[in-house]
Formats: sequence, C-alpha cells, structure tokens
Amino acid sequence: MQTEPMGTSQAVIATDGLTKHYGNVEALNDLTLDVRAGEIFGFLGPNGAGKSTMIRTLLGFLHPTRGSATVLGLDVVADSVEIRRRTGYLPGGIALYDSLSGADALQYLADLQDRGSTMRDELCDRLQMSKAVLRRKVRDYSRGMRQKIGVIQALQHDPELAILDEPTEGLDPLMQHAFYALMDDQRAKGRSIFFSSHVLSEVERVCDRVAIIRSGHLMALQNVEELLARRKKKVELRWRGAAPDLAGIPGLADVEVRGDRMRATLQGDVSGFVRAIASPSLEDLTIEPARLEEAFLEYYAGDEASEEERG
Amino acid sequence: MNLRVYLQTLRWNSVRLAAVVVASIGWGILLPIIYVQFADAFKDLANSGAIPKELLNFGSGSLFTLPGALTLGLQHPLAIAFVGIFAVGSTVNAIAGERESGTLEVLLSKPISRRALYVTLAAASATLVAVVMLALLGGQLIGVAIQGVGDELDLGQMPLVFLNGLMLWSAFAAFGLAASVSFDRHSPALGVTMAYLLVNYFLEILGSLWRDVAWSQEYSLFHRFNPGEILTGKADPIDFVILAVAIVIPVVYALVVFPRRDLAAPS
Repeated sequence: MQTEPMGTSQAVIATDGLTKHYGNVEALNDLTLDVRAGEIFGFLGPNGAGKSTMIRTLLGFLHPTRGSATVLGLDVVADSVEIRRRTGYLPGGIALYDSLSGADALQYLADLQDRGSTMRDELCDRLQMSKAVLRRKVRDYSRGMRQKIGVIQALQHDPELAILDEPTEGLDPLMQHAFYALMDDQRAKGRSIFFSSHVLSEVERVCDRVAIIRSGHLMALQNVEELLARRKKKVELRWRGAAPDLAGIPGLADVEVRGDRMRATLQGDVSGFVRAIASPSLEDLTIEPARLEEAFLEYYAGDEASEEERG
Repeated sequence: MNLRVYLQTLRWNSVRLAAVVVASIGWGILLPIIYVQFADAFKDLANSGAIPKELLNFGSGSLFTLPGALTLGLQHPLAIAFVGIFAVGSTVNAIAGERESGTLEVLLSKPISRRALYVTLAAASATLVAVVMLALLGGQLIGVAIQGVGDELDLGQMPLVFLNGLMLWSAFAAFGLAASVSFDRHSPALGVTMAYLLVNYFLEILGSLWRDVAWSQEYSLFHRFNPGEILTGKADPIDFVILAVAIVIPVVYALVVFPRRDLAAPS
C-alpha cells in the first residue's frame, strides 16, 4: 500500500485499524486513514469494496467489529449523535418523503438538524432549484432533482464536514459543474468534504487527496497531484527523415516505433524528454496527461488477476 | 423524544386518522341502538334454545346487557380494524417501512438517537390509538345518550375503560414497533405482528364460543380488556398488570435491540 505520512493539520476523520465483518464477510479490514481539516477527500472503490460500510460506520449506522474511528475528534460509537449534528450527509441514491414538497422536505430536515439553514437559498440558487420547483411534491421530481435536494439538505446548515456518497449521481453535466464549483467554494471556506465516487474524472477534478479501497483494504492514500505525477504519461511523436535517438532518456519505456511514428510511456519529468527529441525533423508531439483512472485500474488489476486464477 | 418527528408523524397520519375517527364514532353509536332495539329479541332467541347462547356472545361481550353490548362493539372485528390500522399498520411501518423505502437513512443522519426516535414513534402510535379509542367510546356515549339508557352504566368508570383499551392496543403497538425495529423490510414485521394479534383474538373468540376450551381466553390479551366488568364495577387489577407487562417487554426489547442493530445500506 502506498501512503503518505499524516499531516500536522487536525484530522476531521481519523480511523485506526477500523474493521467491520458481517459474519464471515470482511467488509472493512484494518483501515487506517485520516482526512484533514479543509480538504476534499475522495474515497474510491468499485461496488462492494467497502465504501458505504466505511461511511455508515462513521455515522453510527454500523458498529465496528474492531478498531476505532473519530469524526471531528468525536468517537463514532459514543458520540454519534453529536457527530451527526455537526456533519452533513448525502446518502447514495437518496430517498425522500414523497408526500412533502421539496421546500417542506428541506425545512423538515433542517428542523431535525437543529442548526439553521444559512446556505439553503444560495444552494437552491446555484443548483437551479427555483421556488416553483420547490413547491412541487418530491414524488414528482426527477432523479436529478431529488439528488439536488439531497445535496442541499446535506449542506444547507453549512456543516464543518460533509460526507457525500456519490454526490453527482443523476446530475446533468451543467449541474455537475455547479457542484464542483460549490465544492471549491466550500474548500475555500475551510470546510471539509469526504466523498465517495465512481467518477474518477470528478475526483481528479475536485479532490485534494484520495484513498483507494479494494475488498475492504486500503490500497492507496495519496495526494492526487502526487499520485498523478507518479503515473506514466502516454507520448506520441512523428518526425521526418531519421528517427531521433531516444536511448537513455530517463523514464521512457514501452517504446514502439512504426514508420515515422513512435509511441511510448514516460514517467516523471518531461523536460529531459523534450530536450532529447528537440530537432528540426520533429513534426508532431502529443503528451497525454496521466489520469487517475489508470492509477485506479492499476490497483485493481491485481484483484482481477487473482480472481481469474481462482476461477 | 423529538417533537418535530412526533408532530410530522401525526401530520402524515392526519387524513387517515380523520376517516377512522368518523367511522369509529359511527360504529360506537350503533351498538347502544342495536342493544336497545334487539336485546329482548336476542334474549328470547337464546331462551328458546333455537341457537346456543354462546353464539350470541362475542369475546367478553354480549347483546343481553348494555355493558356487554359496548364490550362487543369494542371487540368486534370492525373495531379491531379501526384501531389496528394504527396499532399495527402504522407501527410496523414506522421503522421497517422507512428502512425499506430508504427514508430512515436520511432521518438517522440527523442528530437523533435511535432510542429517541423509538420513543417518539411509540408516543405518536399511542396518541393515534388513544384518539381512535376516544372516538369509539365517544360514539358509544352518544349512542347511549340518544337511546336514553345512561342509567344502565356507571359512566364514572369510562376513563378506566379508556385506559384499559389504550393499554390493550398499546401492547399490540409495542409489539408492532418491536417487530419494526427487528426487520429491514415491512412485510415480515407486519406478518409477525398480525400473527400475534390474530392468535390473541382467536384464543379469545374460540373460548367464548366453545366453552370446553374457555381456558384459552386466559392466554389472550383481549381477555384483559373487559369494559363490561369495569362498567359494572368489577374491574380486575390483574388485567391491567398483565397488559402493562405486555407493553413493557416489547418496549424494553426494542430499546435494547434497536440501538445495537447494524443498519446496512438499503438494498
């Protein structure tokens, strides 16, 4: 597992050997991680990896089999009610009270939160939930509108920490971008966000750090930028005449030459590579940025291989 | 206890409650009228031996006396249905139903302890049951007044009748809520609670119709609800004690089990 040392800033979520078993099923195994104050933390893994188990344990829906966890410095078992008072939670595939209007549902949930709803108007405005829409019954809402109500109810009391499970599920691209901007603003205000997602591009776009979980085990816990910096970039170049001398370029691998084209992977600094290929015969150069998806797939390749062996 | 959840629960049940209250008052009015109009005819029928006297009894009630007629009205399947809508239907849905629909997830993400939620829902259920009981008894009092037979009753005992009925149905409501906290789905909670209610009802009715197995009534909670005896000044405190025990056991069970349950993600 790749991890980076815990930062000096205060952790809003800290788990220590957190383990959850359902009978013989090991949903979480010895999970130790921290989420720092003021950061947006992405929690990645496919279905069944343990993401929801982790979130539900943090909020007191599930009781740990072993280990411990704190949220905002409070114990997840002993102080669950206080944790829920100070956090906002968006469940995956949120269900709402169909007989209420959107406005009444938000007011009901705000009353239960008992911390006001200082951000509601702003959130409704940014997520384009007009007063007319809010007057309609929730049963008449589309999936995307329900999701927006879910996001608003999770954030309307301006929580210190928001825990969001698949927050952009069902949102159209326009609303996804509105949501990303909202996340950026929350970070700028010093709020902390913990969110799970399948959409790697949004994690890459929004998150400061990311944890990758596989079969209940933590596979990686890294700064997104550092994670991407370590990944191999795809490079492709085309030239006229003689091929450039690519021997000895640090980080270059998987070189494949076909006629006047070359494809390869490059790890690390690109400046050495660019200097080495700089020549008048160079016609075209493409360097694809490393994607989180590749890192993610790499962590899961081992799992698939072992499954094939078992099969 | 969470006042906001309590009031919202009552609000969600308000239309259904209004309909049941109207029906309960109507049913309550009917029994004294039936007693006054047909009691003598039923007595003659029983005395003629044309039909066994037991068949004119129903549970602890009968049509031969006004207290018996009122008891019959409160133990009749119609009255069971009216109160059962809230004592069984609403209670089993309160947690298992919300869990199945996914709304319990949102509710419990707010700062409400599971015990507080349980107590709130129990209080709301007791309130709904109390309103229906009041409607049934209120209807009966209206019927008694219409027929002018109030002197056949010790009306000062009516609060005790109400308490007795409230305790009976609170016992079933407590059982329903205990089932509701035990299951992730509405159907098994409803099935278990309905079985509990029907077995109790069956034991009471079986014993009243077939005197050879009259002992079966002793095992029924319905046998602990006897307005006829209360209205004739023969209330048995043991009935109240047994009903109290039948309330306390499922309440303690739910208060212990619900906070300790793992609530996995709704499927």
